[in-house]
Amino acid sequence: MTSTTESLIGKPIPRQEDPRLLRGRGRYVDDIPEPAHTLHLGFVLSPHAHARIVSIDASAALEMEGVVAVYTGRDFVDCIGSLTPDKEQPGFQRVGREAMPVDKVRFVGESVAVVVAVNRYIAEDAVDAIFVEYEELPVIADMDAALQPGSACVHEGTTDNILFRAAMKTEGFDEAMSAAHIQVRDTFYSPRLSALSIEPRGCLAVYDESHDALTFYTSTQIPHIVRSAICDVLDWDETRLRVIAPDVGGGFGMKAYLYPEELIAAFLSRELNAPIKWTADRREELLASVQGRGYRFDVTMGFTADGELIGTKADIFCDIGAYPGYPFGAATSAGGAALYLPGPYRMKHYCYETRAITSHTCPSGVYRGVAAPSAFFATESLMDRAAHLLGLDPAEIRRRNVLVDEDLPYMTPVNIPFTSGTFQKCLLRAIEVTGYEEFRRKLPPDRMIDGKLRGIGIGCVVEHTGQGASRYRIRGVRRVPGFDSAQVQIAPNGRARVWVSQATQGQGHLTTFAQIAAEQLGLNIDDVTVIEGDTGQGPYGTGTFASRGAVLGGGAVMRAANEVRDKITRIAADVLEANPEDLVLSDGHAYVVGVPELRVRIRDIAAMAHSMHDRGLPVGESFGLEATNFYDPPLSSITNATHVAQVAIDPVTGLVEIERYVVVHDCGRVINPLIVDGQIHGAVAQGISSVLSEAFFYDDQGQALIGSLLDYLVSTPLDIPDIEVYHEESWSPDTEGGFKGVGEGGVIGALPAVVNAITDALRPYDAKITQLPVRPEVVMSILTGERGK
Amino acid sequence: MSEETHTISVQINGRKVKVTVEARMLLSDLLRGELGLTGTHVGCAHGVCGACTVMIDGQTARSCLTFAVQMDGATIETVETLGDNASLNVLQQAFHEKHALQCGFCTPGVLMSATQLLNRNPDPTETEIRRALSGNLCRCTGYVNIIRAVKLAAERMRGLAASSSAHASASRE
Repeated sequence: MTSTTESLIGKPIPRQEDPRLLRGRGRYVDDIPEPAHTLHLGFVLSPHAHARIVSIDASAALEMEGVVAVYTGRDFVDCIGSLTPDKEQPGFQRVGREAMPVDKVRFVGESVAVVVAVNRYIAEDAVDAIFVEYEELPVIADMDAALQPGSACVHEGTTDNILFRAAMKTEGFDEAMSAAHIQVRDTFYSPRLSALSIEPRGCLAVYDESHDALTFYTSTQIPHIVRSAICDVLDWDETRLRVIAPDVGGGFGMKAYLYPEELIAAFLSRELNAPIKWTADRREELLASVQGRGYRFDVTMGFTADGELIGTKADIFCDIGAYPGYPFGAATSAGGAALYLPGPYRMKHYCYETRAITSHTCPSGVYRGVAAPSAFFATESLMDRAAHLLGLDPAEIRRRNVLVDEDLPYMTPVNIPFTSGTFQKCLLRAIEVTGYEEFRRKLPPDRMIDGKLRGIGIGCVVEHTGQGASRYRIRGVRRVPGFDSAQVQIAPNGRARVWVSQATQGQGHLTTFAQIAAEQLGLNIDDVTVIEGDTGQGPYGTGTFASRGAVLGGGAVMRAANEVRDKITRIAADVLEANPEDLVLSDGHAYVVGVPELRVRIRDIAAMAHSMHDRGLPVGESFGLEATNFYDPPLSSITNATHVAQVAIDPVTGLVEIERYVVVHDCGRVINPLIVDGQIHGAVAQGISSVLSEAFFYDDQGQALIGSLLDYLVSTPLDIPDIEVYHEESWSPDTEGGFKGVGEGGVIGALPAVVNAITDALRPYDAKITQLPVRPEVVMSILTGERGK
Repeated sequence: MSEETHTISVQINGRKVKVTVEARMLLSDLLRGELGLTGTHVGCAHGVCGACTVMIDGQTARSCLTFAVQMDGATIETVETLGDNASLNVLQQAFHEKHALQCGFCTPGVLMSATQLLNRNPDPTETEIRRALSGNLCRCTGYVNIIRAVKLAAERMRGLAASSSAHASASRE
């Protein structure tokens, strides 16, 4: 048993969720036992990026034994409304997506027909037997084509292919920048990525005719939003749909969307009065699940002769693909890119123009870190270039600009307050623990040590975490509620259950939130069970994405648990004939401070509260021991970190090896360091992977050049080093509990740190890395280019 | 279209099973669908991600690239054989203590690959661990704690480490 005499918050408690997962007893959507007579879906995917659907012949498929039905877009158009995430507002061109297109396809992998069959094997046979005639149309395969003057529009009813745009310039920007001693400028490209959760998407819709109710299991990060949106477009009663996100095998933002397959499965389950199941295969995941990135950043930074950052100009282009995803809409990546680009540095002047561009490619959206990793790839690369031009060390130019304690509270040029943080401390500590200065001293000008080119790189970053309702409204994201909630209930036996409106996909919420609740209630952690991901249990909320779980879920649990704690304390004070202010709850008891023998078991209080005890409740006290509370933080919580990567490049093969990786990180008050470190490790690995190898490519006809994990190159255990993590803890003064978010910071810091380390190792070749990934062939082209001179 | 069927006898997790399968049924579907052993997961169905890794006659194999009909007479072990109802085995316990799993979806395959490694090499170097697990993709952990957990399990299996406290975490105050 864990004692609560020392705080549970901050302890590295191994996770409650582990034992069943380690025994193979997890229950992911595809593991749920299928109800009798479950029917399976198979989708017919478009092989063209832009084409008119001339005809669909399903007659051969329909004759196959075991095929129940085939539907096309025409069958759904009158029963399933389109998903339109954005509302009418300035800066937007509003575009919707049909569950299945009727007339034309807009990306390779968009589905044009669906087979319903008695099993998956037959469904796939039937998919192959459906003949679709297409008339190919001109393709807008990338942002350059989309922005060509006079380009055709991807969507009817729009004036151009920019679905969202925004711009701002601080007063005096032009004068200040023209007075700069140096300006550094370049264009940086981040390619599309697949989020690549190892569990593919999938859902199981189970309709109950007798209650006209649907239970909908789906691999999602946002069960409440899925419920509201399905009912909105199907015109159903929201109280008759229960959405359950069971064990979810990774999401990384990709599962923070509602997908057409989910709408179709839900619709067909009621339509056919049968359980309906669908599981994506890897090809469908790669082609049609919301991708990440696809950005171009044109950035100029101005500095004084002393290396002081004067200002930044950013021209930002986000290719969001064929449709803005639901619920985040067109603005999330492009708007966020501009707001998050000013990093951990004092910077007075800022000018940006940002836009979301539509093209004939798979939708792209809020993959881990969204635009921030790419933004810092640009700004931190330019920071190094400025240092080089000014004869400063990369560490020194950052030292001169990084925010120090005296700068706080600091208001960014886009009016986002930084009220706490350890910007300077993290930088200095990272330099110290890595032995940066000694490494630098020993590094020869040709960078060659033991036959390999060596380099070291720094990435200083901030992340805007834990955003609530007001932040989403300001950013024009209108389908994300923003708040979250928790319900805490103590049973008559004194054990607690806690329902949270979040939906964990591996972040360890069941343990983290149990730590918070147990701490507040004075219970042992083993006496607290956390339940998430079920709209049929617990109150409404938003979900788990954008590094918001600890802040929103943690805050809601804190508030609800405190309400219950207060009631326990009142009852205990009556029993002990003591003043409520003199009581503490700990180790399953309520004690009088300083008189530990004057105590009552919380279990007995619970029995009294449920009329199961000889003693009654105090006069005026109601039955039950539970509370529901909602939490919406007033501000974003700013997380900061410094990453340092050390690389070795084989000059013969061009292979980059990361020899050492250090993160000094501040995510506020740490709830469980084991879990926080795990979040950072995983995020750093995704960042490294996207620098070294990962990319999703289309050709100039919008044809996907990636169809399997043989072409999509993701890091393996051979590519990711051990990662050292050190914590600073500046508690947020703005959030309940002092928590800040941690999910994405690792990716954000990894891009600049690794890119700068590679650039440093290639310093003799004057390499400028402006495009990811940096595969061996890219390194070799840099090396041989120099040799050829 | 009805497919040709075959009856096979296999030993799965110590239990003899006689089952009739279509010629094209994958071993992963036999395990998960017909036998309810859903601990074995399918992440790519083309032999790259390693989530579906099982042991066939003592050798790790991709159950998504194996037809069930090939298994006549074979002995198959899945993640469900590791540990018992009362306790986790040494490897599982090390994964728990080191936080070597997050979403848990890839974990069964990782455990099977690590089990084979430790069966064959009780004292693997870090490079040997990384090589042995290079066919298992994990998108959550960055592999960091998986490598640490396999090291810890190897130490414990060799009787060199009595408790996790002997093995300092790289996470510092």
